[in-house]
Amino acid sequence: MSKFFHSNIYHLLLGALFAVSTFVCFATPIGGSFNDVITLKMNNVANVTPVKMKVISLSYDSLTKKFYNVTDLYGTPARVLINSSVSLKLGDNLVAECSYMPTEKIFNVVRIERINPLLTFPLIQGLGELGRNMLFHVPMSFVAFIAFLIATVYSIQFLRTKKVYFDHSAWAASSIGLLFTTLATVTGSIWARFSWGSFWSWDPRETSIFILLLIYLAYFLLRSLLEESHEKKARLAAVYNIIAFVTVPFLMFVLPRITQSLHPGSSGTEAPVINLSGKTHTDPILSYVLWTHVTLFTLLFWWMKDLYTTILRKENE
Amino acid sequence: MFISPILRKDLRIELRSRFGVSAVVMFLLVTVTTILFSAPGEQIGSSLMSALFWISLFFGALTGLARSFVSEEERGTSFLLRLHAEPEQVFWGKYLFNLLLIVSLSISAIVMFAFFFRDFHVRDIAMFLLQLALGAVGTSAIITILSALVARASQKGALLPVLALPVLLPLVIATTDATRITFETTNAWEGIRGDILILFSFDIAVTLVSYVLFHLIWKE
Repeated sequence: MSKFFHSNIYHLLLGALFAVSTFVCFATPIGGSFNDVITLKMNNVANVTPVKMKVISLSYDSLTKKFYNVTDLYGTPARVLINSSVSLKLGDNLVAECSYMPTEKIFNVVRIERINPLLTFPLIQGLGELGRNMLFHVPMSFVAFIAFLIATVYSIQFLRTKKVYFDHSAWAASSIGLLFTTLATVTGSIWARFSWGSFWSWDPRETSIFILLLIYLAYFLLRSLLEESHEKKARLAAVYNIIAFVTVPFLMFVLPRITQSLHPGSSGTEAPVINLSGKTHTDPILSYVLWTHVTLFTLLFWWMKDLYTTILRKENE
Repeated sequence: MFISPILRKDLRIELRSRFGVSAVVMFLLVTVTTILFSAPGEQIGSSLMSALFWISLFFGALTGLARSFVSEEERGTSFLLRLHAEPEQVFWGKYLFNLLLIVSLSISAIVMFAFFFRDFHVRDIAMFLLQLALGAVGTSAIITILSALVARASQKGALLPVLALPVLLPLVIATTDATRITFETTNAWEGIRGDILILFSFDIAVTLVSYVLFHLIWKE
């Protein structure tokens, strides 16, 4: 089994899976409900919103105008006007950008995005197309947590067994964890630029991830500043790593949820996919893609960690 | 009590030299003066007030408590301590001594802030004291273990603030938020419940981990 994880076939497989899942993340159309169109228009967020709908019947047809009776993904019926030469069959699914005409109580299809799509993602109000970032940003933060957890486990193993391998592994896992934390911060920051208006605004989420970066930077500083024998250096670093991990659950899970934050999933905002109370509608396709990405990123982390452990061992021989 | 010898020793040294307390009080005095001079006659809001208070307290604790293990190394008494006392005794003794030092630091900080700032007006005193106590316990645990770690390193200089401050930051966030609320309302419990829970669980986690890990740092 371990031979397989070091073979080229495994690496190619991992690369191919990443390519497929990235394609799925970007190519899958996002469609909401007719209710979303009305609320987003009323709140002056957007005039046009993509909706996923199913054609039930053709209600009126002329040379220029076609009205269809459709239902959206929650089964809400509506009449839509499609000014297009596309002819739709009964039972067709389509994702189309709609605007609402309140006087006639009709939805006007501005642009048809996809007819009979294989997969669709749900529209998350206030996120829209930016919601795709979640499929990268959230797995990266997850893997950062997993990496720090594994680094702590290695540190404990080192303190128990005093084997150099565990010290190098803890070091490597923390490094890759720091890399994933940085990636999560960068993706989050780019998302914040388009969602909140600036790259950095000291939201509680941003503050806590920044503190996490500081803590693990202090760990590497400690490693580089210690001039003791290897055993003692590794022992002190392992102790600091464990102390650092004690703060991780507070910073990643507790503080941002208790303080007022604009970040999706905080108190006061709706969690699109993962929430403990199960209040919001959790879309199965979105969660499948998300959890696939978590798995893939974890495998990537494991590969990088192993590689870096080998490098550290060679360097410190 | 099995902890008393170390604590008694430290208290006796402290009473003889008064180094810790006087350094901490001096630090606070200088900090408060700096704030007063850099913002003369300024109306300080509740959130800035609580931030200034806790920043002074945390930095004061870092200056005052950093020496607990370094001084043992410098005097060369750490070997004797290792020979004569169990690691648990040393940890709890130093921990309690640090706790006492932080408590005295907090009391002098409250007196100074109340005396110098007219905006320092605590509305819910019981909750304020609860936050102070919880903050002191967590800070004491983190600084005890990390100052022991720094004392073992060859380069002691600026290592403790660099290592301890990021780990203390969750505590700083929770306490500043809670204190801001006690400055604003007379019945603060509803507003600060989350912060108190964080402080409480953080204190327990940090104290336990420090206690478990201490002998790994302490032994040769």
